[in-house]
Amino acid sequence: MGNTMKCELAQEIIALAVYGELPDEQGPQLERHLAECEPCRRELEAVQALSKAVSLLPVEEPSANLIARSRLRLEEALDAVPHGSWLLRSWQRLARGVWRLRSAPVAVSGVLVIGLTAGGYSGYRAGEHAHDVARTPLSPVSSQSDDPLTDVASVSSIVQEPNSENVEVVYNRLQPETIRGSLDDPQIRQLLLVGARNRLNSGVRDNSLGLLANECRAGHQCDDGPIRDALMVALRYDKSVDVRLKALEGLQPYVADDVRVRDVVLEALMNDADPRVRTQAIGLLEPVQADSSVREVLHTVAIRDDNPEIRTASRQVLDQIPQVQ
Amino acid sequence: MAIDPSARATETDLIREAQQGSRTAFDALVRQYDQAVLRLALHLTGSEQDAEDIHQEAFLKAYRYLGNFRFECSFYTWIYRIVTNLCLDLLRRRKSRREDQAVMLDSSGEEVDLLTNVSDPRASANPDRELNRKFLGERIREALDKLTPRERMVFELKHYQGLKLRTIGEMLNTTEETAKNTLFRATRKLRANLAELR
Repeated sequence: MGNTMKCELAQEIIALAVYGELPDEQGPQLERHLAECEPCRRELEAVQALSKAVSLLPVEEPSANLIARSRLRLEEALDAVPHGSWLLRSWQRLARGVWRLRSAPVAVSGVLVIGLTAGGYSGYRAGEHAHDVARTPLSPVSSQSDDPLTDVASVSSIVQEPNSENVEVVYNRLQPETIRGSLDDPQIRQLLLVGARNRLNSGVRDNSLGLLANECRAGHQCDDGPIRDALMVALRYDKSVDVRLKALEGLQPYVADDVRVRDVVLEALMNDADPRVRTQAIGLLEPVQADSSVREVLHTVAIRDDNPEIRTASRQVLDQIPQVQ
Repeated sequence: MAIDPSARATETDLIREAQQGSRTAFDALVRQYDQAVLRLALHLTGSEQDAEDIHQEAFLKAYRYLGNFRFECSFYTWIYRIVTNLCLDLLRRRKSRREDQAVMLDSSGEEVDLLTNVSDPRASANPDRELNRKFLGERIREALDKLTPRERMVFELKHYQGLKLRTIGEMLNTTEETAKNTLFRATRKLRANLAELR
């Protein structure tokens, strides 16, 4: 902008000036322009006159009566609202999700059945792969149903084909069954979810969670509840550090948008026994550093964590955060 | 609006307590803002009843959704966002209702707006200042009513409540630039509508 202000601009910013919103550096320029420009001076007077005129409808203080009435009415309405800590309610919601996952296999196989009925058999090659475990060839059509995923008792093996998205899942039904398919396939995923709950075979559990976490991390259709829930549960409850680390990885894309995920990661940062988990949690929380809950936890961790590196890391993230005005 | 750090710390504590379920803390928060909210709603709507309704709805919403407040803006902005949205809704409802109103024709066949104060502008010569002021107030309210709800809202917040354009933008979920342009449109329209008041 040159030294002389044009009328066009002056007219625009005169209103700003009257309302005290003029950027400081434009003040002197406007003054100089007004000193030499009659029409713009008149414009300024006009805006000032408007300002005065409009003030003839003064802002009145609400009467004591109005205030009292409003407060009373609000009290009554608030009394009628069911209360309880919202935080507690959030955890209750998550806990309910946990319960769903832990519930009897009957419920899970119910889900699998639905999945398969929708999907059909395409893409599966069942029962042909050589395997150590004693197996019987898949009988063509069972008398009960065509559905190979009914009555799944457990998953006993998961093998990922190297350099591919394909996995081979051995699951137990009446006899061991094998299914091959892509990780994108909902049926495979549901089987992985079952595998994730396997208490006896930690290899299967770790593998399942790892694969699910990778899917989430890669952004492959992890938007719905069960897989994300499974990862959150694993992060919170699993005894294996590697599983918890994998779960964190899988949850990383959702920290920004999903408050529940954020809360679970914060919990991990505060309470996880293993420093590697806590360290990774800090990394996940960096992008959401503006969140006050995050800041608060970082503050606490910066002071109270046993591990000096973690204390430092927390402090470093905090130092990056601009002060809240 | 300058808030000293110790006052801000107290408010943060209050908010946290309220979020954890303390009704007392929430009541204290309400007390900090409810007069300002009533003042705004009263001036904007011109009606005590409407102001009361907005007050009620706004704080009930705040109570219900308090868990969503993550300190990413000031609590003041957050509350006012709720309030301004409710005000905009009301202004829109009024506007569409008014457009449906039947229009009367007077003896000469001219349209008479039933809501206009039909006093003669020459009443400004009337020595009764009180009446005069009331008349002027009504005229201004009419002129304000001719603005779109958003223009009205921005003008109200800027001129009558003295807020910065940047804050207004935040409250209305828009940019400072848009708020500025809305303000300009509002002032132009008002000048046209109030021309004869001089």
